Amino acid sequence: MVDTIYVEDEIIGTKKAQEIISKFRHAKVTNIKRFGEVFNPSNQNFRIQKTNPALILAKKQKGFVLDAPKGFGIGDQNNYYFSHMYNCLYDCSYCFLQGMYNSANYLVFVNFHDYQNEIEKTIKRHKEKKMTFFTGYDCDSLAMEPITNFINDFIPFFSRYKKALFEIRTKSINNTVFRKHDPLTNCIVAYSLMPEPLAQILDKKAPSVSARIKNIKYLANKGWRIGLRFDPLIYCNNWKDQYAELFANIFKEIKEENIHSVSFGSLRFPKSFFNKLLQYYPNSEELSFLRSNDKGIISYDQSIENEMNEYCRSELMKYSDARKFFSCG
Amino acid sequence: MIEKNFEGVSVRWVIALKGEAEEIIKNYAMKRVATTPFPVYKNKDFDMWLILSGIGQLNAVAATTYLHVKSDASYNTIWINFGIGGSRNFKVGELIQIDKITSSDFQDNYYPSPSAFKNNNIERCNLITVNNPEKIFENDGVYDMEGYGFFSFAKKIAPYELVSVLKIISDIPGTDLSKIDKHRVEILVSKQIQFIEKVLENLLALQKMLFLQLRDPKYFDEICLQNKFTFSQKVTLRKYLTQWQARFPLRNPLDEIRQKMTASQILKKFSDNLLR
Repeated sequence: MVDTIYVEDEIIGTKKAQEIISKFRHAKVTNIKRFGEVFNPSNQNFRIQKTNPALILAKKQKGFVLDAPKGFGIGDQNNYYFSHMYNCLYDCSYCFLQGMYNSANYLVFVNFHDYQNEIEKTIKRHKEKKMTFFTGYDCDSLAMEPITNFINDFIPFFSRYKKALFEIRTKSINNTVFRKHDPLTNCIVAYSLMPEPLAQILDKKAPSVSARIKNIKYLANKGWRIGLRFDPLIYCNNWKDQYAELFANIFKEIKEENIHSVSFGSLRFPKSFFNKLLQYYPNSEELSFLRSNDKGIISYDQSIENEMNEYCRSELMKYSDARKFFSCG
Repeated sequence: MIEKNFEGVSVRWVIALKGEAEEIIKNYAMKRVATTPFPVYKNKDFDMWLILSGIGQLNAVAATTYLHVKSDASYNTIWINFGIGGSRNFKVGELIQIDKITSSDFQDNYYPSPSAFKNNNIERCNLITVNNPEKIFENDGVYDMEGYGFFSFAKKIAPYELVSVLKIISDIPGTDLSKIDKHRVEILVSKQIQFIEKVLENLLALQKMLFLQLRDPKYFDEICLQNKFTFSQKVTLRKYLTQWQARFPLRNPLDEIRQKMTASQILKKFSDNLLR
């Protein structure tokens, strides 16, 4: 899988770095001073790097916990996100990471304790407030779990702070770590989903939607709380039928009481990200419906966006309590 | 094999000495097209050029710059620095693809892209570029006198993934440098030529991917010729035509343009159609 590992001098001797390196016996290990030497140079091409991504092991120096964008959340007052990893094992055509980073290499920050210290401080600072910590936005944490053991480290950590929600956003069907731990009431396993025919075209290297639903059912039966994330909603010719079928398939298998929250939001990008994506996927019909709006965001026409949100909302209300619905926009 | 019919092929070799270059020149049927300030060679059928830079980093940078201009190299060009080097941890004759480039003079290091190493099974190692022939070999790796200078410039004029440094080990501790003559170097290179070809094939595959990303959408040039578009209008036109191709593959966008339409009217027409 990975044939090149770059490791920062500062962390090469740490247990976590050595643990990860030992999983790639045939990889060439190269020392670096700082991850930016490999990750940041301009003139790199994300799509080409995606053909053979390297693994970069580094130490995060600052910015461990960040405020989630305004309007983003699943019901709590305070929303934060943190990223122990940049880039993803999967290769979804609409992924904003392709527009955001110069490099497709997997960058893992191995100093998990520093993240935990910062999360702990944040929780203590806002004791009275309900808060959610999101992970899995700059990577798919669960997909990389066999390599990083990130979730295995963070489930016991969050079990000490029951008032803080911990959301793991994923498309992975790897459930080993959830079998190892008892279900945590403040942990949401949030699945990104889209109609199967669209996923077959767009969610490259990711498990099929039916496999994801099967895994959701398994985790729900084990007692894990589930999030359903229809983000992005993708516009295409028969999108109404496709989404109606997807919702029906999900709720045929999953009991509503196992669902913690449902959120949806249509496809959107900052302008610079979109331009790169269009260069990478000139033949993508899905990208051809997007337009620049007056806020410098590339999205569907407002009428399309409203229609999609309203339709999906009303369809989902057939199966679930609307109080569980949140917008990702 | 080089796909001669593929219009995106573009390769530049920067090599210090004739002895190191001879087999490459022969293998890719290049002919001399200039002698000063640097000897330059070129293949007549496809866009491949080679320059003899002479020894040292300054020469390497100057020659790379010169060839960039002289050959009108596009952004999507493969740049390879090839030559001999010394090492204490490899055997004479081994071909090494460089994965980290350091210099005795500068703090910054460079890391050629792992995409360039995929599937070729060629030994990889770091390069230490020095200013004088190395005899002591204090560290593991390959020592040379051009790689760092070459890479520091080439990465600015081409995508990172298309810039590569390849070295053949010519000397190890104890080697009498005076005995490394042109003939001996040519033999070392000839024994590795099939593997050098393999490295180039991989780079050409990456170049093809990039070419398909970078090319303008169909009808872009024709429409720009017919009407006066500002720079930002051209950017928008490029975007709309790309989206047009994906959405209406069977509809010719030229059919949408009527005579006397201005650039803004053309863009609006495309935009309105794409909104539906």
